[in-house]
Amino acid sequence: MRNDDDFRFATIPPMINSLFDDIEHRILSPLSCLREFDNQWVLEFDLPLVNKKDIKVTFDEDTINVEAKLNEKYSEKQIGDVTKFEYFKKSLSLPEKIDNKKTTAQFQKGRLVIKIPKKVIGHQVKIT
Amino acid sequence: MKIAKYNTKENTLLVGFPSNGLVGTFSVSYLIHHLKMKQIGEIEMPDLPLTLFVEEGEILSPIRAYNKNNLFVIISDVPFDQYLAEKFALAINEFCKKNAIKKIVIVSGMETVNQKKGNPKIYGLVTHSTLDGLLYNNQISKFLNGSIFGTDAAIISVFRKTNIPALVLYAECHPFFPDPEASIIAIVTLAKILDVEIDTRDIENKIDKLRIQHRNLMKETIQTLQQQQEKKTRTPQIYR
Repeated sequence: MRNDDDFRFATIPPMINSLFDDIEHRILSPLSCLREFDNQWVLEFDLPLVNKKDIKVTFDEDTINVEAKLNEKYSEKQIGDVTKFEYFKKSLSLPEKIDNKKTTAQFQKGRLVIKIPKKVIGHQVKIT
Repeated sequence: MKIAKYNTKENTLLVGFPSNGLVGTFSVSYLIHHLKMKQIGEIEMPDLPLTLFVEEGEILSPIRAYNKNNLFVIISDVPFDQYLAEKFALAINEFCKKNAIKKIVIVSGMETVNQKKGNPKIYGLVTHSTLDGLLYNNQISKFLNGSIFGTDAAIISVFRKTNIPALVLYAECHPFFPDPEASIIAIVTLAKILDVEIDTRDIENKIDKLRIQHRNLMKETIQTLQQQQEKKTRTPQIYR
């Protein structure tokens, strides 16, 4: 029964979850985007309901992994059953020619912004 | 400058659909709920893939029309590709003719990659100078330069050729993530324009959960928008 005083959007999530949430392990897949700038790549993750101290960012050889614990359980009905999600987790392939040792990260308003500088390759051409 | 007083009693159509930050989806849905508007029909588009939503046993069409007093609303739960965007714009025009609509207001999001600190700003774009007063009276900055594509552009293209003026409200938002915070600015502006009282506390309390809940719709919307933008020459943006 719907309570008319409880605000809900009429929009319904698609039947097939394209974000591959892990229902068994109660892990949500966060939205992310990667943008290229002249000197760096900027990778962003949308991590609402998360505190900065509960985020872990790690690098593998060519992958970046982001894990975060939610500060409260998030309940969602998927395929008829209610799942109480507790974590965000996602791994992404990194672009080539990056200097991941100089990576910086900021977390503000539930958005994690990771800046990965490009590796400077080549040499300057002398103009005569 | 003499500004004509805007008549809030004439029939007005508000339009919302998934776009940047899902600003239109959030703000128009919120208004429908808070004004307790009644559904008066569905917009049929034969080329739209056959989709129906079921919520609490109720069958919902993805494009619906609502009404209360002199305010009408059309809301779509699905994003449109370029072809469907044109069909949607023509369907809105038909709706306007049948319901004696005198002006339409569209709510959308404006991509701000490097959002500055503080509240997002809102900009207005009008198809007819008769709506300039609406911007002036409500202290909405005019959208002066930039390019528009997608469903917004389709609707503007149709209505600038008719005698029904259209106002597009663009709230600064994150381009790739659901942005209920930007929607609050749009709701406050809409309330002023429509001369209605809207309490935004309900959406303010649910910002984080709405961001999680609408991840799939955001992803689908971005994929649709990027298909529309393919011909544009700009640095490709990768969405994963």
